[in-house]
Amino acid sequence: MLVQLPGGWNPLLGRLALDQIPYDNPILAPLFVAVVVGTILLFGLITYYRKWGYLWKEWLTTVDHKKLGVMYIIIGLVMLFRGFIDGLMIRTQQVWANGPHSSGVFGALHGYLTPFHFGQVYSAHGLIMILLAATPLLVGFMNIIVPIQIGARDMAYPYLNALGLWITAAAAVLIMISLFVGDFAHNGWFGYAPIFELQYSPGVGVDYWIWTLQLTALGTTLGGINLLVTIIKMRAPGMTWFRLPIFVWTSLSANIIALTSFPALQVALGLVAADRYLGSHFFTAGFGGNLMLYTNLFWIWGHPEVYFVILPAFGMMSEIFPTFSEKPLFGYVTMVAASFAIAGVSWMVWLHHFFTMGAGPQVNSFFSVATMLVGIPTGVKVFNWAFTMYRGRITYSAAMLWAIGALFMLLVGGMTGMMLAIPAINYMVHNSVFVIAHFHSMLLVIVYAIFGSVIFWFPKVFGFRLDEYWAKVMFWLFTAGSALVFVPMYMLGFMGMTRRLDYVFNPAWHPYLEVMEVGIAVYCLSVLAFVVLLYVSIRDRVKNRAGADAWGTARSLEWLAHSPVPFYNFAVTPHVNARDELAWRREHGMDALEPERYVDIHMPSNTGMALYIGALTFVLGFGLTWRIWWLSLLSLAAIILLMIIRSFRGDDGYIITGAELERMEKEALRNRAQADGKYVSGGRGQVAGTAIAYGRNGASMGGDPFNSSRDGI
Amino acid sequence: MQTSRIKRLAGIWGCLGFLGLWANTANAGVFWLFDPKGVMADTDLYYMLVDVLTMGAIVGTTALLVIWFMWRYHKGKNRGSYHPEWSHSSFLEVIVWGVPIIAVGFLAYFAVRGTFELNPYDPTILTRVAKPAEKPVKVDVIATDWQWLFVYPQYHMAVANQLVLPEHRPVFFRLTSTAVTSGFFIPQLVGMIDVMPGMRTKNALESSHIGEYQGISSDYAGAGTSWMTFKTHIVGQEDFAGWVQKVQSSPTTMTEAQFNAFAMPYINVHHRVVYFSQVPSGLFDHVIMEVMHGKTWPVPPMMTENMVAYIQKQSAEHRD
Ligand code: HEM
Ligand SMILES: [Cu+2]
Repeated sequence: MLVQLPGGWNPLLGRLALDQIPYDNPILAPLFVAVVVGTILLFGLITYYRKWGYLWKEWLTTVDHKKLGVMYIIIGLVMLFRGFIDGLMIRTQQVWANGPHSSGVFGALHGYLTPFHFGQVYSAHGLIMILLAATPLLVGFMNIIVPIQIGARDMAYPYLNALGLWITAAAAVLIMISLFVGDFAHNGWFGYAPIFELQYSPGVGVDYWIWTLQLTALGTTLGGINLLVTIIKMRAPGMTWFRLPIFVWTSLSANIIALTSFPALQVALGLVAADRYLGSHFFTAGFGGNLMLYTNLFWIWGHPEVYFVILPAFGMMSEIFPTFSEKPLFGYVTMVAASFAIAGVSWMVWLHHFFTMGAGPQVNSFFSVATMLVGIPTGVKVFNWAFTMYRGRITYSAAMLWAIGALFMLLVGGMTGMMLAIPAINYMVHNSVFVIAHFHSMLLVIVYAIFGSVIFWFPKVFGFRLDEYWAKVMFWLFTAGSALVFVPMYMLGFMGMTRRLDYVFNPAWHPYLEVMEVGIAVYCLSVLAFVVLLYVSIRDRVKNRAGADAWGTARSLEWLAHSPVPFYNFAVTPHVNARDELAWRREHGMDALEPERYVDIHMPSNTGMALYIGALTFVLGFGLTWRIWWLSLLSLAAIILLMIIRSFRGDDGYIITGAELERMEKEALRNRAQADGKYVSGGRGQVAGTAIAYGRNGASMGGDPFNSSRDGI
Repeated sequence: MQTSRIKRLAGIWGCLGFLGLWANTANAGVFWLFDPKGVMADTDLYYMLVDVLTMGAIVGTTALLVIWFMWRYHKGKNRGSYHPEWSHSSFLEVIVWGVPIIAVGFLAYFAVRGTFELNPYDPTILTRVAKPAEKPVKVDVIATDWQWLFVYPQYHMAVANQLVLPEHRPVFFRLTSTAVTSGFFIPQLVGMIDVMPGMRTKNALESSHIGEYQGISSDYAGAGTSWMTFKTHIVGQEDFAGWVQKVQSSPTTMTEAQFNAFAMPYINVHHRVVYFSQVPSGLFDHVIMEVMHGKTWPVPPMMTENMVAYIQKQSAEHRD
């Protein structure tokens, strides 16, 4: 042992001991029971309905990008809910523990959470919301939509894709386990030197934080590589760069950011781990350590990360606005340029997260101006969406409402971001709840875009539309909740209320805290509305069945595929003729053509390997957190071994013959005819005038898309 | 001077009838940021108004534009004409890039100017523009887990968890911390500055408004952060001299060894204030050197987990 650990350690269980289970905690113990009962119930139901085989074959071992995407989104939604509960707890503590006369229960002087517990709640809240809710939700959408939008059969590396998912799942499980075994970090989602050093955070919380972050970083990096290669190499014939849908462009820029910035995080966390496990002094105050170095390293990743999550959201909005304005996106080239400008600038602004750390005025000025530069392309985007609506024909469907909500949130967030970018203002509101309100406005842009996308692309994946009425009810409840929570929060920022207070010393702030608590209640109702929305939509799924183009005015290539998209996406790779391919085909009467003949296609086979390795990364993270060395070594060795085995065995994939394909297509077309009545069976053929409907033999721009699955890493 | 700049802007606000309403009503006292009581906070507010006015004009116009488009191009209402192909206009492209570029250029000028004016190491708004004639007061701020020690080297004394300063005299702070990073913030007087162990930052303020202002530990530093508040009193010059006398005659003194005991983790739930009539002259530098050589003040695990038990222990040891 290179470091002095308070508390016990033994070779078999590491730091793990019975007293690390908070069975006497009045909040966690009942929750634990509920979780156990729920899990048993779930497993029981699966067994009762004999669904294990189905689960295993169709989901757990799948490499299909759409199913992996759906699982990403499910993880994201579950974690969004967990994060929301954390948020509810934070708000409840602050409204309760306000003023010297407020009462306290469960061992807390004020409110119901002791400071250390409160610290864990908001740290977990931030980490979960950004890395285990927003990120998986967005990665999930990129996974599902990008390959279809570019006319690819699957991702470039289907196996790698599954691996990314299961590592992300491992991270989610690790942070959930920290609820019931040991504790979580209290140093905020971004960590603080030197408070996360062993002297000031002696428990395992910080270790959970390190390894959860490391796993999400790994999973996201793998996903990023995959998306980049897919976009660059797997485009259908005719899908030139300037015909890419904007969502693909923003995914591209976002993943370039991810790939180049996540390593900084992994290095920073590696050094924190070295301090805590090996007794080094990278970030300690003494012995030559430099705690400011950590803050720099973290935000060198942290700022690009916030753009990594906002850019795909911008892409989603850019798909929704034209569809419901019945017009092409205004200023396509500008939009692309703006996305890359945002990505480019995002590497040079990290210091704006710590203007108050005492850098000289020259340095602060540089980063201030650089930060404001981001406002330019962001402003351009807003204008472009506005002019997309201009001279359009706007339908206020639920998806459009969410997109418009996102636009207004962006105006608020951008406005306050421009305030924070000026050091003279920042000194007053940095570390106040004003910053919290700023980035929640921005993250709400993402949430709005995501719910808009859920509604927008749901029919593509599942073949039926979500219920419009309940989607709108949810929208209005959610919007009311947002206003009630964040308007008072901005006001409290101007009153000087700092963030992360587990005891709010000023009783004058009480009315505002109360309004926020009401807002949380309204948010709860919107969660309920979401559940009702799902229930009602699934109940009425036959009535709401969607054709290929679920909205009748959709524009991009993914709407050419059947709804639900078959596992091979397009039976024959389409040839792309225009920027808004579907709109173009609709105009030229080519949107319901059937290919002349079907050829064999090559698909990647399922594999359990990704799941095994993902599970082992969880074990590794758990072993390291508790310093169970034998377990860590064993799981690491097993991971390496599985990787070697996989690399020798490879995946030859399998062939769907042309005849089989034709049969499946016929079936799908019959369903489609019932759904939209649009399909004209006479319209057979490949060529209409000079336009081409299908690429020859499914060849894509960047080579054979199916071979790549064979050398999947 | 600064105040008149603000008054002018506030006048514009009044016309707009927005935030000005807040700032000018009796409510102002609640909004600490709109009710500055010193040169530094004043200047902060001035830049905030410049920024909010500029951005507000653009963002507000955009919002109205969007709402108008939403109303005019509503499908089926036939208010505006539909151009299904229209997606480009060089004129508009110039506008959509031009407006943000001009706005950012304009704000960049103010951003840089403000950064120099409020540079915590040498705030020119204080040292070159306002130039108070009175003799400066020096205060060495030492943040511990979780208390503030304000050392007045000119008077060889120190005060825990209370800051008393004379009006009209510029105050120059040096700040450091014993254990972890914290933040020093008095919303109505001066903005935040990080207070870091093994390091020295600076800040400054000046006020001509007698009164009591809330001081806050603005950065999360562990279990006791929320109670790590302090009151700042701006007092008349005579009162200040009297107060110095009072502190200097306090029976409690502080040595370096006593400081180490004082800096042990302590949650200041009762807002205890202590006067120390004697402090070693180099205490501030001594603390920095010790930290740089590896001294830490570890936090016992029990304090983080069960605060009530810890507070009981704290009082059993007569430390409160
Ligand atoms: C117009 C563009 C933007 C500008 C000028 C801007 C500016 C800033 C500044 C200066 C800060 C530091 C505040 C402080 O701690 O003192 C900040 C914090 C933050 N911003 Fe933005 N921002 C912008 C857009 C975004 C976007 C798109 C996101 C993504 C969701 C975002 C998320 C965040 C987050 C998460 C934090 C705070 C992190 C923390 O301290 O916990 N911002 N922003
Ligand atoms: Cu940032």
